[in-house]
Amino acid sequence: MSASEPSKSLKRSSIPGQAVLAKTFHWVNLISLVMMIASGLQIYNANPVFGGRAGWHFPKVLLLGGWLAGGRHWHFAMMWFFAINLLVYGLYIALTRRWQRRFVSSSDIQALQVGRNPKRKMYARHRLVYTAIIPVLLLAIATGLAMYKPAHLYWLSGLFGSWQTLRIVHFMTVPIVVLFTVVHSLLALKVGRFRLIKSMFS
Amino acid sequence: MYPIQSPRHLTRRQLLQWSGLSGMGLLLGGCGATLFSDRLNQVVEPLNQTVEELLLRPDSPVPEFPISAIEPDKLLINTFDVTPQIDPTTFRLTLNGEVNYPMQLSMAELQTMPLTSMVIRHVCVEGWAAIVQWGGVRLRDLATLVQPKPGVRYVYFESADGYYESWDLASSLHPQTLMVYQKNGEPLSVDNGAPIRLASPIKLGYKQSKWVTRIFFTNHLLSQKGYWEDRGYEWFAGL
Repeated sequence: MSASEPSKSLKRSSIPGQAVLAKTFHWVNLISLVMMIASGLQIYNANPVFGGRAGWHFPKVLLLGGWLAGGRHWHFAMMWFFAINLLVYGLYIALTRRWQRRFVSSSDIQALQVGRNPKRKMYARHRLVYTAIIPVLLLAIATGLAMYKPAHLYWLSGLFGSWQTLRIVHFMTVPIVVLFTVVHSLLALKVGRFRLIKSMFS
Repeated sequence: MYPIQSPRHLTRRQLLQWSGLSGMGLLLGGCGATLFSDRLNQVVEPLNQTVEELLLRPDSPVPEFPISAIEPDKLLINTFDVTPQIDPTTFRLTLNGEVNYPMQLSMAELQTMPLTSMVIRHVCVEGWAAIVQWGGVRLRDLATLVQPKPGVRYVYFESADGYYESWDLASSLHPQTLMVYQKNGEPLSVDNGAPIRLASPIKLGYKQSKWVTRIFFTNHLLSQKGYWEDRGYEWFAGL
């Protein structure tokens, strides 16, 4: 046991430290989003956004809830985890000024435009990508609320014009989030190799 | 202390991991999903319903749309079983239960009552919506006639096709909760619920019973809450 200790601690120190709240946010966000998407596609299938009842339906393997009512139960349960997690994280990055240190800044934009260091550019690109997903997540919540409570939040529903626009915008956050997850993972691999991803989830 | 390990036995950690994984499998796979989502709903629906009841503003109307915004083709016809044919000349709408003056009203009598018209968005649980004009009698005006007793908290709606629904009293007395006999400026068609149906901007479509024959005021919610609710849909279904 004692012989393996030094190498173990050396290994530990090479993994970047991540704040507990940042890790928690990533875990809860990932799990709740997977469930929001799977139950959302179940709801989608009841009346496809594109083509109505005659439109293309998502295969069963991607769905959660068994049928429309089950899909809605999951969707309106997981929404609390997804939204409260995002709210807590938002307060956290605002109060700790992490917003200024860890997200895209003017120096990143500068590095992307005129920088010559490829590592610095990759780092800037990564920060730009994960900053850009935040308004998309907020948009998913806004359009979701606008359809969940359109009578109460008539002003919010009204911002999007027609009901079909509202449905399309809400649905489009799904492919964007899926694409983002792939790009975010690949960029994290390039910036910090697997140990960076491991640091965020362990 | 080392846990007793043998290749044939699972450690506590392994057991927990395996049970967690198989639990997830059951939860996400086929038949387990419906079972589990009903359980999940038993926990979450009371929370969501509390929020919906807090959001409900019983006396303030939902802003309406201009006549030009009506979408005549978007209102799909959903029926759980048959489409009943009702003779409007012999039809009587029964209002009873915990009320001071139970009564039966003919269509002619209903049509002499003040007509309320509204252009609202009809939102279906399936995800589609349609802007519709509805014209008819406020349910609160009918309640004023029959005078529900003080303990009344719920209203049941029975339909000629066997469909049934129940609403909370506050939503039933909302100024835009109507018993309608007109749609988009025309007399209500049989497919849409003639001679009279429920319409409101504050509840999902499945709450808005067609072919209503009896309105029943009650103090308690019965074990049968509504056709779709008894099959798993949420009861309050507020918008």
